[in-house]
Amino acid sequence: MTHTKKRIILNNIVMILSTLSAVIGIGFLFWILSVLVINGIDALSMTIFTEEGAPPGYEESGLKHALIGQLMIVGVATFVGVPLGILAGTYLSEYGQKSKLSETIRDISDIMMSAPSIVIGAFVYAVVVAPMGHFSGWAGSIALTIIMLPIILRTTDDMLQLVPSTLREAAFALSAPKYKVITQVVYCGAKAGILTGILLGVARVAGETAPLLFTSFNDNFLNTDMNEPVASLTVTMYNYATSPYEDWQKLGWAAAFILSMFILSLNIIGRLFIMNKKGK
Amino acid sequence: MATIIDINEEKALEVKDFEFTYASADAPSIKKLNMPIAKNSITALIGPSGCGKTTLLRSFNRIHDLYPGNKYEGEILFKDRNILTAQEDLINLRIQIGMIFQKPTAFPMSIYDNVAYGLRLQGIKNKTELNDRVEKALKSAAIWKEVKDRLKHDANGLSGGQQQRLCIARAIAVEPEVLLFDEPTSALDPISTAGIEELIVELKERVSIIIVTHNMQQAARVSDYTGFMYLGELIELGRTEELFVTPKEKLTEEYITGKFG
Repeated sequence: MTHTKKRIILNNIVMILSTLSAVIGIGFLFWILSVLVINGIDALSMTIFTEEGAPPGYEESGLKHALIGQLMIVGVATFVGVPLGILAGTYLSEYGQKSKLSETIRDISDIMMSAPSIVIGAFVYAVVVAPMGHFSGWAGSIALTIIMLPIILRTTDDMLQLVPSTLREAAFALSAPKYKVITQVVYCGAKAGILTGILLGVARVAGETAPLLFTSFNDNFLNTDMNEPVASLTVTMYNYATSPYEDWQKLGWAAAFILSMFILSLNIIGRLFIMNKKGK
Repeated sequence: MATIIDINEEKALEVKDFEFTYASADAPSIKKLNMPIAKNSITALIGPSGCGKTTLLRSFNRIHDLYPGNKYEGEILFKDRNILTAQEDLINLRIQIGMIFQKPTAFPMSIYDNVAYGLRLQGIKNKTELNDRVEKALKSAAIWKEVKDRLKHDANGLSGGQQQRLCIARAIAVEPEVLLFDEPTSALDPISTAGIEELIVELKERVSIIIVTHNMQQAARVSDYTGFMYLGELIELGRTEELFVTPKEKLTEEYITGKFG
């Protein structure tokens, strides 16, 4: 066998193997999505959005309580986590740069990003829930903020560093003070990237269950008092899906479907922003 | 050993025993450099890569200060004061000494906002005045005709040559006294280059210009004075035609005849 022939065969083997792996990987994604869509759409109805939870066997039951609770918990986490993350990322990229402090913060947030979310839930349970004496929506938001923070911080840091330093120099050369260089020029150049980081960060925490089990717990009815346990789609889905009642299981599918579509669309929008940026 | 001619005209800047050391370096990148810069004329800095010409240029508006640990010694006199002191008001200095970079640095905003950027920094808010000065700057930079119908468009949609002229418009809008050009045409095609060179020559009626260039023909075409730098020292400064035709220093002659560099 000639050398060339060998090379062609080897090339084909590697190509087939890698294509196969890719197909298997993507296959699982579509399998999950199709099961979700089939069961989810079947379970969807108008009452899902208009009715609260009900005991098994009731016709009029829905997920209104969990949808609103989810929005409140994630909303508060976003409201606190986004500005905090952006400011911290700005510090790392623009002020701390390569200093020891910022390199340490970068390392710690990389570790935080891969920390099991259940550990963060347990931590918030210990420092917030236990002293307060009861579960609360606030505690849930705190846990999600902690999970979101390193994601937004690191993407902001990375995206700001992608802005060419000549752009900063050009603004300085026009006599701009540092805070104006950052807010008017650097942010402008990185806004698509920062927005992507926010979307991906929100998408990440919106799907969390474990930290909420320890913190916001659950409520089968609508509760808008963040001082009390608040329902969330994820915990509701967990409770309903593992229950023995068929109508609750159906609601669980609906919750899974709504949640997945929400997170999927956040991810797609986020990726579109990145593609747009690369296209420029 | 350096040959530095006396300049009888009025001087825009004067460099005296200047030394510059980068934060990460042990030895200075520019050594005991003395150099007068004539007012309302174009001074070109030439020399092989790493000779310190860009380092010197970036000292005139102290852009080196953005990175901690860089060290200046000696004096650069501008309007009878040494601009290297800690008391120097850098914001004020950079209004008077503008800079154009190697690659176009259009900000990610509209064409209009780019040119108005420096004006707004100076606190000009009046719409009519802003409009007038933006138009005047774009006209001076010979780009007004091309952009007047799309002032609100993103500046990044312009070609490289147009962006560079936009950056020149942005720099002259604030009416500086000195303009520093750091290889302004090295990223541009020959036609855009010719346009920028023409523009630089026109500008010298209003500003004093220092231009760093790798291209000796460019230095010969546009400048009145040329300084040849080598290994952090100014080897020779002379009137451009004299320096290129009858260089006084052997090193200068070897460089311009292409023996090294």
